[in-house]
Amino acid sequence: MRVNFVLSEVATGLRRNLTMTVAMILTTAISLGLMGTGLLIAGMISEMKEIYYDKVQVSIFLADGVTDEQRQAIQSELEASPEVAGFIYESREEAYERFRQQFSQQPELVENTPPDALPESFRVELVNPERYEIIAAEFPNGEAGVDQVRDEGQFLDRLFSLLNGARNATIAVAVVQALAALLLISNTIQLAAFNRRNETNIMRLVGASRWYTQLPFILEAAIAGLIGGLLAAGGLILTKVLFIDRTLAGPIKAGIIPPVEWDAIIWNSVVVSGVGVALAGIAAYVTLRLYVRL
Amino acid sequence: MANGPDAQPGLVPWRLVIELQHVTKLYPASGRPALDDVSTEIDKGEFVFLIGSSGSGKSTFLRLLLKEDDPTSGTVSVNGKALNTMSKWQVPKLRRTMGCVFQDFRLLRNRTVAQNVAFALEVINKPHRTIKRVVPEVLEMVGLEGKANRLPGELSGGEQQRVAIARAFVNRPLVLLADEPTGNLDPETSEGIMLLLERINRTGTTVIMATHDYHIVDSMRRRVIELNGGVLTRDQSRGVYGVGR
Repeated sequence: MRVNFVLSEVATGLRRNLTMTVAMILTTAISLGLMGTGLLIAGMISEMKEIYYDKVQVSIFLADGVTDEQRQAIQSELEASPEVAGFIYESREEAYERFRQQFSQQPELVENTPPDALPESFRVELVNPERYEIIAAEFPNGEAGVDQVRDEGQFLDRLFSLLNGARNATIAVAVVQALAALLLISNTIQLAAFNRRNETNIMRLVGASRWYTQLPFILEAAIAGLIGGLLAAGGLILTKVLFIDRTLAGPIKAGIIPPVEWDAIIWNSVVVSGVGVALAGIAAYVTLRLYVRL
Repeated sequence: MANGPDAQPGLVPWRLVIELQHVTKLYPASGRPALDDVSTEIDKGEFVFLIGSSGSGKSTFLRLLLKEDDPTSGTVSVNGKALNTMSKWQVPKLRRTMGCVFQDFRLLRNRTVAQNVAFALEVINKPHRTIKRVVPEVLEMVGLEGKANRLPGELSGGEQQRVAIARAFVNRPLVLLADEPTGNLDPETSEGIMLLLERINRTGTTVIMATHDYHIVDSMRRRVIELNGGVLTRDQSRGVYGVGR
């Protein structure tokens, strides 16, 4: 294969349809960028699930005036309950310490909170997280030293359904954009083939192989796909530097949101670039098979 | 049938370059066949005129030889290979054994004479060294030495057709197919083109030329195959264009 020949054909092709090429690259970039974002959110969700779901499912906050006997009774009951997989006790001091750590980025908040403002609690892990009601029924609010029983899972479910929604919406828009990108690629390739019909007709007649005739078009699309993918990767890097590492710095330090590491960004960039090249190349190949006689 | 379409070249000394057996071609849009039960044989090194009015099936005949189309029934063989059983990926190989020249030259306007000729070799992966050697040779043969760096737009019609012939011949094809190569040229220029085609024919290349030009056919006295409404009505060695003209 004459590499120079193919590459010069590709360069000419991309230049000749400059406006179409730019449109093709931009739609591809947006689609792939959204796809990468969707992947990042998905990764964050699964990490957050690990952080939260494993730790706490039900919190039993104790009343201010709880007695030692009451506390002991609650502990015994938890130990005896077949619904409980495990639990930890958190004193006021421990609760305050954890609070200070979580909100270390907001010192005013920590300063304005007296050390005894946070209640002591039992953090309970259930055998089956769905069966929160049973625990709630065993420890009625406001009785026997119990102030409140809270299903942390319910809050987490709401949080995660929100995050899942964001991920799904991002991916849905990415898919629609991808469709637009594919149609643009198909159109650009048809146009390129039309522009070069004299060359390809001659190539066909003198016995150039099908592959030789098609490769410049497929490469043209694949290169546009690659540029789109690299732009999307750039977008992901900017998202990390400008948004995640700055705006979300507080919650990340506090351990509320898991940090997005560079290897996740790099991995997602590689994936979107690969997808860009593959989709564009396949779209071009299919277009040539369906619409263009080579 | 020792020389049947399935015989291997090399096992049998192959004289027959082209063979059509009961070839019929129907296009879906038309009720009348473009070719109707045409059978003929063309030997290596022959010079054949393919004549007939417009729509008589000349172009279809040439398209079938290039496997641009497949016959509806019957078999076409080129150089001992049956085209109807040939797989798609073998078609480029077939076409490398054939050169094509057209009425409208079909040159690339943005490439020079030499580049147009070289293009035909580049796209079939000929080594650079070979291209550098054979392109000037063939340009000299067609009488275009010194015009290698001109663009087609700077040449006369006759010169452009010479470039097209150089491109068709540069890979030394077994068969040269010419579809009305003099259709756009004046009689004197046409004569020059015919001399060139004769010269190519003398190198052993079979030439099949579809034409309307009875002056040329009558003066050359070569084999004439006449098609009429898709039917082969005359096959005459050393023929003339029309009887009773």
